[in-house]
Amino acid sequence: MKTPIDDDRRSRSSESNAGDSHDAPLTGRARELFDESVERLDAATLSKLNQARHAALASSSRSATIWLRWLPATGLVAAAVIAVVMLQGRAGIDMPGNAEDFEILLGQDDLEMIEELEFYSWIELADLDGSDDVG
Amino acid sequence: MSAGAGVFAVSSPCEQPSGAHTLQIERQLNLFFAEVERRALRIAEIAVRDRDEALDLVQESMIKLARHYGSKPAEQWTPLFYRILQNKIRDWHRRQNVRNRVMVWFGRGSANETAVDPVAAAVDPLGRTPEEELANQRAMDELESAIAELPARQREAFMLRTFEGLDVAGTALAMGCSAGSVKTHYSRAVHSLRDTLGEHWQ
Repeated sequence: MKTPIDDDRRSRSSESNAGDSHDAPLTGRARELFDESVERLDAATLSKLNQARHAALASSSRSATIWLRWLPATGLVAAAVIAVVMLQGRAGIDMPGNAEDFEILLGQDDLEMIEELEFYSWIELADLDGSDDVG
Repeated sequence: MSAGAGVFAVSSPCEQPSGAHTLQIERQLNLFFAEVERRALRIAEIAVRDRDEALDLVQESMIKLARHYGSKPAEQWTPLFYRILQNKIRDWHRRQNVRNRVMVWFGRGSANETAVDPVAAAVDPLGRTPEEELANQRAMDELESAIAELPARQREAFMLRTFEGLDVAGTALAMGCSAGSVKTHYSRAVHSLRDTLGEHWQ
C-alpha cells in the first residue's frame, strides 16, 4: 500500500539519483526488490513492529527507567566479573581484547553478555573441578 | 561511552514539551514511525543479518528519537532517526566483534557465526507467480549478500539513498559526514555492487 510519504520518498530518490543514469538500472532494480521485501514482511514481524512503536511512544513519557538507578551497581559487578575472569585466564593464551573492548563490554546495553560471561566462567570452573575429581 | 563508541553523536536534545503539545507530538511520531518502521527494519536487518536484532535496534532508535528529539521539526525526523539507527548498527557491529573475540577465547564460539533469519514464506501479497517470486527472492538474497560485503560507510550511503530515498543532504545528516563524502561512498558502493552482481543482475 503506497502512501503520500512513499511517493515523496520515491520522488526525492529519483531526484537525488538523477545524475547517475548509468547506475539507474541497478539502483532502480535494487529499490524495487527492497520495496517488495518490505511488502512481504510477515504478520508476526509487523505485529512486533507495532508493539515496538507503542513501547517507544510510551517510554518517551517516562524520563528515566527504574533499572537506571542500578546502573552504578551493575557497572561495578560487571567490572568485577571481567576482572575475575581475566585473572583466572589460562596461561599462554592471548587475552581477547584491549581496553576499548572492555569499555564496550561494560556498556549499559550489554548486560546480557555479562550474564553469558558469568555462565561461561562458571562452566570453566565446573570443568576444572570435574577434572580434579577424575584425577 | 568512549569517543570511539560514539563517533556520530547526535546534537544536544531539546527540552521536552508538555500538555496538549506533547499529545500532538506523540500522534505525529506515531504516524512517522508507522511510515518508516518497515523500511528501517529491513535496512537494519540487511546490516546486521538478523531480524530479531534488527527489531531491537529499530525499537531503541524509536525510543531515542521520541525521548530526545520529538520536539525537533518533523521534517528533520527522518535523517535524525536514521542517524540514530546507523549509530546503533555501528555499535552493534563493534560489540559483536568483541563478543566473538571473547567467545573464541573461551572456546565456546566461532568468529564467523552468522544467523540469517529467513523471511517467512507465505502467499505473495503482490500477486506474482511462484517463479517470479522465487527469482525476485533470489535476486534480493544476492543483493543483500553483496550489500553485506560492502564497507560500513558505503553500505550506509547506499541503503539510505537507494532504499530510504534520502537526498545527499539528508544522507549526510544521517551519516554525520559531508555531502562530498556521501557522494564518494555512494558511488563506490554502486560500482562495487555492479562488479559483484554483474551487469546483467536482475
